[in-house]
Amino acid sequence: MKKFIAAAKKETIILLRDKIGLSILFIMPIVLIVVMTLIQDSAFHTMTEKGVPIVFVNEDQNDLGKTIHDGLKTSNLCQLSDSIYGKMATKESARKAVSEGKFLIGIVIPKGATDKIKASVLDLVGQTMGLNEPSISKKLDSVEIIMFIDPVAKNSIVTTVMSSLHEFISGVKTKIMFESFSEQIAEIIPDQENKPIDAYEKTQIIKYKQIYASNLVDEVVPNAVQHNVPAWTIFGMFFIVISVVSNIMKEKKEGSAFRLYTMPTSYLLQMSSKVMVYVTICVLQFIAMMLVGVYLLPYIGLDSLDLGDSLSGVLLLGTATGFAATGFGVFVGTLAQSEQQGAILGSLSVLLLSALGGIWVPAYVMPDTMRQISAFSPMNWALDGFYLLFFRGSGFLGIVPAVLKLFLFFCVTLIASLWIHKKRKTT
Amino acid sequence: MEKSPIIKIENLSKRYKGADDATLKNVSISIERGCIYGLLGPNGAGKTTLISIICGVVSPDAGTVQIEGIDVFTNLNAVKQKIGVVPQDIALYPMMTARENLQFYGAMFGVHGEELETKINDWLERLELSHAADRRIDKFSGGMKRRINLIASVLHSPSILFLDEPTVGIDVQSRTIIIEQLEELNHKGMTIIYTSHHLDEAESFCDIIGIIDYGEIIASGAPKDLIKTTVDAKDLEDVFLNLTKRKLRD
Repeated sequence: MKKFIAAAKKETIILLRDKIGLSILFIMPIVLIVVMTLIQDSAFHTMTEKGVPIVFVNEDQNDLGKTIHDGLKTSNLCQLSDSIYGKMATKESARKAVSEGKFLIGIVIPKGATDKIKASVLDLVGQTMGLNEPSISKKLDSVEIIMFIDPVAKNSIVTTVMSSLHEFISGVKTKIMFESFSEQIAEIIPDQENKPIDAYEKTQIIKYKQIYASNLVDEVVPNAVQHNVPAWTIFGMFFIVISVVSNIMKEKKEGSAFRLYTMPTSYLLQMSSKVMVYVTICVLQFIAMMLVGVYLLPYIGLDSLDLGDSLSGVLLLGTATGFAATGFGVFVGTLAQSEQQGAILGSLSVLLLSALGGIWVPAYVMPDTMRQISAFSPMNWALDGFYLLFFRGSGFLGIVPAVLKLFLFFCVTLIASLWIHKKRKTT
Repeated sequence: MEKSPIIKIENLSKRYKGADDATLKNVSISIERGCIYGLLGPNGAGKTTLISIICGVVSPDAGTVQIEGIDVFTNLNAVKQKIGVVPQDIALYPMMTARENLQFYGAMFGVHGEELETKINDWLERLELSHAADRRIDKFSGGMKRRINLIASVLHSPSILFLDEPTVGIDVQSRTIIIEQLEELNHKGMTIIYTSHHLDEAESFCDIIGIIDYGEIIASGAPKDLIKTTVDAKDLEDVFLNLTKRKLRD
């Protein structure tokens, strides 16, 4: 025990003397969280508050054009404009503006679109009511709504705008159809005494209510802070790998490692002392980053981080993540045979694990194979655990599997390190 | 009275993975208690590998090593308590002070508390470093570092001390004080195994010299005897060049 304390004291002294290194360990992850959350938050706002910039050309000037125009205008989805540099947008000017990146999407509703839809619907109603012979039904032109899309626009944004357009067009078609049927029926049954007022509007009885399926006492609305703080906290904590690797490599390079191998002390004891000190740093990093999420981010216009209902669970998961990160650092440090090798291996493996773990892109949007691989990333286990706590309202017990997996990962990396170290003696 | 061998090496062989030749080939050495044994050889001859195997850092492919009758490979921890190793590199933590380094290494040998502090102060005084005890190692001169490097290996009073080029790259003053202290330790009964490229130093310092080349011990004996039995040799350097020839070992 005395040897362990002495080794841990040595690690602490070395770490505390390297003031720049130590401050980087705390400042960089905090900066990362603030910057990434601000960026993600602004992207989030582009979609929801400010909206996707769309130029709208209404050549129709009738029901369809008006409904789509008003619908898009009132939705949070987009920032609608029907003029370019103060001039009414035309098909050509809209295309040019989109190609120049001034707007993400341009929508052109062609002239006579409403009339064509009406004619089509009337024809259909006539056939249904037996007023038109199907054989003499006119072949009607289709309505072509044009969308100019900036090549840089994400598919998800285009799809969202498209589905809104479909919704508005369906609404217009249904309304025309309803009115046509009403008119036809009125001709057959001329008694208008019981005709309902605003009949079509009264059919709009379906409403949507969004409820986030969470067990949290206070419902948490997903936002950039809730998503990004845990993700970038895990990423920042895993960067301890580089410090651990550098520490191990320095000992190898300076000869201290060789001297220690000749002493009555084990590699396990030396590595355990490192683990203890670096896990402490990880936990402090974690607490600092959570505090930033809760208290600092609201000061810069972001939402405050909601830690969920289980603070002990949050702390346990943070500690388990620290163990996994430090264990991985010991493994890479043992594996690497030069400082350069260690630095490259350490940083690239952290980037790889984070990409696989869903830090950059959520795992659920990954292809099947990648999603299966992602399930083996400790960052993914940690992130899933935090999402359980922060979004799904899981309690302490809910995160036990994630915590066990992280501790198991730590044990495996430590055992692998001891094995590699032993193996090196014989090669 | 015949002295008992404190180190007994028999048929030691080692070939590193991927290497064309074996680094050690059937090496057998017997070193008597209280002796200063100089292990000399050109670069890459196998000196460091031999010391690394004796200290249990590297495993051999074949052969046995016994220290005070204890098998190194089956009782490594017991053996490690009896030996001290002064590596060729300055194996100290530059960010820590001399005292902090010595406290750490002393503790790793199981020396703690007041006993450790007394030993540290005593050794710092003997090697004239008391004034710099609380200064960081990265502020030390080369000679000062070498002296702390030595102290870090003797705090537990080992019965055998291995020194891998302990005086390389330092001034005469530091070299003199290190050799004096080593001689004093030897007078108190410590066995010293020493490697160096300073052949004049080895000639005057060592009781027995073993010359190793291409992984084999090619000569062994007292310096005076080696000089006497080698044709046209005036000193140990002549013996060394005669046996190992002038071919560079790059």
